[in-house]
Amino acid sequence: MPNEPRGAGRAAALALPLLMWACALGAAHASPAAGETLYRRGLLPSGEPVRAVREAGASMQGTDAACVNCHRRSGLGSSEGRITIPPISGQYLFAPQGKRLEELGIPFVDTARLNHEPYTDATLARAIREGSGASGRPLNYLMPRYQIDDAAMAELIAYLKGMTVGPAPGASASVLHFATIITPDADPVKRRGMLDVMNKYFTDKNGAVARTKAPTLYSSHTMMFRVERRWQLHVWELTGAPATWGAQLRQHLAAEPVFAAISGLGGSNWEPVHRFCEQQSLPCLFPNVEAPAGNDDDFYSVYFSRGVLLEAQLIARQLAEAGEPIRRVVQVFRAGDVGEKAARDLQALRGGSGQQIVNRVLKAHGSVQELGAALREVGSADALVLWLRPEDLVSLERVPVRTSRVWISGGMGGLERAPLPASWRAATRMAYPVDLPGQRVVRVDYALSWFRIRKIPLVAQQVQVDTYLACGLVSETLSHMVDAFVRDYLIERVEMALDHRVLTGYYPRLTLAPGQRFASKGGYMVRFTEPQGSKVAALGDWITP
Amino acid sequence: MTARIHGTVIAALVCAGAVLVTAVAAVPVARSTVTYETPAVTLIREDGKRVSLPRELDDGRPVLLNFIFTTCSSICPLTSRTLEEFQHKLGSEAARVHLMSISIDPEQDTPARLSEYARKFHAGPEWQYYTGTVAASLAAQRAFDVYRGEKMSHTPVTLMRAAPGEPWLRIEGFVTPDELLDDYRNLLASLGSPARAGR
Repeated sequence: MPNEPRGAGRAAALALPLLMWACALGAAHASPAAGETLYRRGLLPSGEPVRAVREAGASMQGTDAACVNCHRRSGLGSSEGRITIPPISGQYLFAPQGKRLEELGIPFVDTARLNHEPYTDATLARAIREGSGASGRPLNYLMPRYQIDDAAMAELIAYLKGMTVGPAPGASASVLHFATIITPDADPVKRRGMLDVMNKYFTDKNGAVARTKAPTLYSSHTMMFRVERRWQLHVWELTGAPATWGAQLRQHLAAEPVFAAISGLGGSNWEPVHRFCEQQSLPCLFPNVEAPAGNDDDFYSVYFSRGVLLEAQLIARQLAEAGEPIRRVVQVFRAGDVGEKAARDLQALRGGSGQQIVNRVLKAHGSVQELGAALREVGSADALVLWLRPEDLVSLERVPVRTSRVWISGGMGGLERAPLPASWRAATRMAYPVDLPGQRVVRVDYALSWFRIRKIPLVAQQVQVDTYLACGLVSETLSHMVDAFVRDYLIERVEMALDHRVLTGYYPRLTLAPGQRFASKGGYMVRFTEPQGSKVAALGDWITP
Repeated sequence: MTARIHGTVIAALVCAGAVLVTAVAAVPVARSTVTYETPAVTLIREDGKRVSLPRELDDGRPVLLNFIFTTCSSICPLTSRTLEEFQHKLGSEAARVHLMSISIDPEQDTPARLSEYARKFHAGPEWQYYTGTVAASLAAQRAFDVYRGEKMSHTPVTLMRAAPGEPWLRIEGFVTPDELLDDYRNLLASLGSPARAGR
C-alpha cells in the first residue's frame, strides 16, 4: 500500500473527520428514516419488501435481504468463518485509497480493507445493484444484487453516509464513562455487594492504566491511535414510582453521558429500564435482575439468563412430562414479587394443556398464617409450585406436605442454600437456573479469590460474581474494539466475544448471536439429598427448554 | 452405463459452468472424497423425537448433510437457500434424498425454533433438522470435521453420500444449487447402476 508522507497524513487526519462530519450533516436532510428502514428491515420507501438475487439466481426479499444481517446495525461489518464482511458506513466506503485509517481519523475495525478506490454515489449504487466493487471487481458471492430504484437508492446512500463512527457520548479521549442503574426496590444488601465489586473493579482498572505508559497518539501504526482510557462509574439510583424512572434516566443520561450501562440491580420491575435502554440506544450489559424484560428481538439489553422466567419454562416442561397426569397446578407467590411474573409465564405456557392452573396470591408482606391458608386446599393429586423467598420457605415447617409433586424456584429461594424444611425435601424439586455447585466451583472461586484479595465482603454471592463477570466481559470486549467507540458495535462485539469466554462464573457456558439476548439458555432440576444442609443432586441433564 | 456416460457429460458441462461462476464470483469451491466414522450420538429431531445419528444417516437413502444455526445471519441463510433450491430442482426425486441439517448452537436451537427455520426454507418432509445436547452436537461436528472452535467461526460445508458405507463427498464453499445437483447426480452415477443409485 503506498504511503503518504507522515506530515500529510497528519493533516489529512485532522481535516478529513471534519469534512466527513459535514458530509454526514449534509446528508441528514434526505430523510434518513427511509434509508434506515431499508437498511435494517429490508423495506422500500413504498413499504414493499426490497428484492435481491444472488449470482446463482437465488432470490431473497425483505428482512432476509436487509443489509443489517451481514453489515450489522453499527455498519462496521462482521466476520463469519473465513469471510470478512466489510464496514459500509460512509467513512469507510468513501475513504481515499492508500491511506491508513489512523491517518484519516477513522477508527480501526478489523473488517476494514482500504485496498479499493473510494466509492462515489454512482459506483456505490452499482455495487448494491450489480455486485461489483468501486473498481468494477466482483464482490463476494454473499453480496446480493438489489433491485432498488434511484430515489430509494439515494435514501440508502444518505443513510450510509450518515452512519457515524465517531466516538459515542461517554467516550472521550481519556475517559470512558459507564453507568450502573439501581431501582428503588432493589435489595440493599445486594446493592452494597454489587457496588463494592464495581468500585474496586474500576479502581483496579484505572490503577493498571496509570501504571501502563500510554502510547502517544499516532506513535505506532500497528497500535493505531489506541490510548488506554480511564473508566469512570456513574451510579444512577432511581427513586419513586416506576412510571417516573424513564424521565429520571433521561435526565441522568443528559447530565452524565455514558457509553454504556454495566451490571445494575433491579427488584421486581426492570421493564422501564429495559425500555429506556432500547429507546436511547444505550447498551445495558448484564444487569442483575431476576425477571428480565424484553425478548430476543430487542437489541440493547443483554442478560446472563432469563432468571425466574427460565425457571417457569423448566417447570412447565416438567409439568408437561409428568408421568402421572396432573389435573391441577396450584401456584403460590407474593403480590408484586418476581414470582408473579414467573407464575403468569408458567400459566401461559400450560395454556391449552388441560391442566387447571390456580394462582394463590399472598399479600406483599403478609403473615406466615396466610401461606398456611393458601396451601390448605392442596390435595395429593395436585402439583404445587412455590415462587417464594427464604423467609416463606422456612415457615413451611408448620405446614403439612399434602402432595408429592412440589416445585420451588431456586433463584428466589436461594439455590442450594434455600431453607427448605426437612419434611418438604423428599417431595420437592427445585428449578436451578445455573450450573451445579460442584461443577461451577472453580469458575466461581476465581471471582471469590479476587474479592478476598481486595477485602470485598461477600454479602450476595451470585450478584457479586455476576457483577465481576459483567465488568470482565465489558473490559475484554473493549480491548477487541480498539478505538471504535460505537454503542451498537459494543453490543455486536459482546455477541462475538462471549463464546470465547472460559471463566463464566455461575453459568456452564455463555453464548449470544444476533437475535439472542439471554446468554445462558438452560438450567437443572435438582433435589436436596439430605434432610438438612445444602447438598443437591441433579434430576437429569442440563435442560434447555 | 448410459447413466454414467450421461452423468459424465452433464458433469463436464456443469463443471465448465462452475469454472465460469467461480471465476466471476472469486469463490473457490473445494471438493474432496472423505471417509468419516459416524459417532453414536443421540440427537433431537425438529419433531421432538430422540433419534440416533447413525440410524438417521443410514436409512438407505442418499444423504446431504450440513451444519447450521438459526440465528446465523450471513452464511446459513445462503446455504439453507441453496438446499431449498436443490430440493426444489430434484422435483419428484426429492423424496428419495435425505437432507439433514444439524445445529451447531443446540441450546438456542430448540426443536420449535428449528421447525420454524425449516418452514422458512420450505423444507419438505425429507429435510430434517437436528439439535441435542452441546456434547452431542460437538461430537457430530468433530466427526465431520466442521468444528471450528465456536459457532461464529464456522465455514460453509456440504457433505453428500450416495449410500450407507460409501465415502462422503465434502464440498467446501458456497456451492450453487445447480452445482450441488450435478454433484449429486455424479455421485449416484459413480455408484453404478441406476437401480442401485435410486434405492
